[in-house]
Amino acid sequence: MQQGSILQRSFGRHADVKISALGFGGHHLGDAPDEKTAVALVQGALDGGITFFDNCWEYHRGKTEIWMGSGLKGRRDEAFLMTKLCPHGRDGSLALRMLEQSLNRLQTDHLDLWQIHGVSFENDPDLFIRPGGAAEAMRKAQEQGKVRFLGFTGHKDPRIHLKMLNIGFPWDSVQMPLNPFDSNFIYSFERQVLPELSKRGIAALGMKPICGHGDPVEKGVLSAEEALRYAMSLPGVTTTISGVDKPEVLQQNLKIAQNFQPMPEPELQALRDRVKTEAADGRFELYKLSLKFDNPEARLAHDFPLDMQQAEVKEMMKATENDGHPFADLHSGGQSQ
Amino acid sequence: MKRREFLKGAAWAGAASFAGKGLGMAQGESNAQATNHGEQVPHRPLGKTGAQVSCLGVGGYHLGSTKDQNEANRIVSEALDAGINFFDNAWDYHDGHSEAVLGIALQGKRDKAFVMTKVCTHGRDKNVAMRQLEESLRRLKTDHLDLWQVHEVIYYNDPDLIFAANGVAEALVQAKQQGKVRFVGFTGHKDPAIHLRMLQHGFPFDTVQMPLNCLDATFRSFQQQVLPEAQRRGVAVLGMKSLGGSGEMVHWGAVTAHDALRYAMSLPVATTISGMDAPWVLHQNLEVARGFQPMKEAEMAALRDRVSFWAADGRFELFKTTKKYDGAVGREQHHFPSAKELPV
Repeated sequence: MQQGSILQRSFGRHADVKISALGFGGHHLGDAPDEKTAVALVQGALDGGITFFDNCWEYHRGKTEIWMGSGLKGRRDEAFLMTKLCPHGRDGSLALRMLEQSLNRLQTDHLDLWQIHGVSFENDPDLFIRPGGAAEAMRKAQEQGKVRFLGFTGHKDPRIHLKMLNIGFPWDSVQMPLNPFDSNFIYSFERQVLPELSKRGIAALGMKPICGHGDPVEKGVLSAEEALRYAMSLPGVTTTISGVDKPEVLQQNLKIAQNFQPMPEPELQALRDRVKTEAADGRFELYKLSLKFDNPEARLAHDFPLDMQQAEVKEMMKATENDGHPFADLHSGGQSQ
Repeated sequence: MKRREFLKGAAWAGAASFAGKGLGMAQGESNAQATNHGEQVPHRPLGKTGAQVSCLGVGGYHLGSTKDQNEANRIVSEALDAGINFFDNAWDYHDGHSEAVLGIALQGKRDKAFVMTKVCTHGRDKNVAMRQLEESLRRLKTDHLDLWQVHEVIYYNDPDLIFAANGVAEALVQAKQQGKVRFVGFTGHKDPAIHLRMLQHGFPFDTVQMPLNCLDATFRSFQQQVLPEAQRRGVAVLGMKSLGGSGEMVHWGAVTAHDALRYAMSLPVATTISGMDAPWVLHQNLEVARGFQPMKEAEMAALRDRVSFWAADGRFELFKTTKKYDGAVGREQHHFPSAKELPV
């Protein structure tokens, strides 16, 4: 993997804290074929200049945290490590258990950033801030020095993001989808949330630069490079989190990020205009529209019914089978269990 | 028993290797954080026997899962170099393959090792036991065992069968008299009540092996119920399943592999047997075991409290709560359906 450096930007109002303009997405790490590959990807990312690492308590039922922990072993100090908690409205005590699990899996005693995962539903902000809710747990974890900064994430609706922003919690960061399709859509994180973050000195973490699974790239609407450069160039964005599951993807991302020159505004606008027609019905942004993209853990916590055919639900059911051999794919090199 | 079938039961023999991977690193890497390199694994007295054993033992089941004999040789010789002398095995592990692998790995080094294997009569008589002993000795390429234990005492009628006239208990006595085994004991992973019934027979067991880990401490607890009784009777305790057998407790993040192993080794036990099917697993265990200093009681109590939430339904100690870990030979001898046929 190519050695190199990547543009570092200030983490919101914390001007002394810098993170790389390209972030390493944790979810796709779980799609790597084995732990050895995953470890090499994490180390390759560090070598290539990525310092921002994303993860989440519920990704692949814990596997991605374990693999990232192995990859960062001995190099924890080089990384700005984020993971997410998944209370989805449930109690703060649950949130603190999740923190303990995440720290154990990631083999560290602290996180640089701890974010509420997947704020998606109308009542999520109220459930978060209620007495005994996750807000109290986050403050407590910060006081105890187990986490440095606090944030939230979601892909559903900018109006819910704004409600979270206005709830009276001292957010350090906010994560959201940022891509040219979003910019055109009837409700847009770029138009509605990003300026608000800049105003308040909150770090803006972009995700889904190619709309999650790369549909528009596959369909030839725009190239991966255009999409990634677009997201990284938006005024006010701090980092852009991109998922990596194989060395080729990491190579490609590192190349783009190491040679990164921000697109000037006319170029950004030209790209927005180019995808305007495709953006209008949200077909490339189903995470905003379809229940299919709702996280099952969150739906359970809200007593919403589950779609038993959804991949994540199947994964969840499999995990609860509890056959004594968790994550068979953790085995690399044909071990016998 | 088909080897494949047996493998499905996997990881009975102690801390499963892949579980340790949560703590670990890519294969073959050195550890940047280890500071105890070069120190030896301390030895402890084996109860009242006068023998000394290393506080970490090499599990035999996983030795039979190594990718080849060379890998096993490397694990055994590096373990010996680090001061480990305790080697676990069983007559039925991988249909004898585990014993054969250890026998070869210990050639020329037998006198440096404290070799244990287990007899698997599961209710059959003394003659079956003595025949198995001969097979074990032949495969292990030795004329005597340091320790011979009754394997897998896990069913409620096992103590009756073991102490029946002409049962395996008589074989233990006979083998000792013949000088083929130095010490005798028993092992099981299921229920403290069964272990206590075994001990109450008053048979002069030298050792007793049991699951000991930080979750066991608060769930159907061998630590609370059996460990003190064994100590009272002067029977040496051998711990196993420090990560819960499958290591799910580590995967779900309830505890780190490092803390889990340290906890188990800090209990008043002679040794903690851990499965190691690749050199990196040994290296990882040695990070804890070299120059081992036990946790203080307050630290152990804090860990117990911290993980008690995860212990309460036994989901990370499936050997206690399901039939998944119960060996096929034993089930057959008891006329139980195989674990595969059960909805567990």
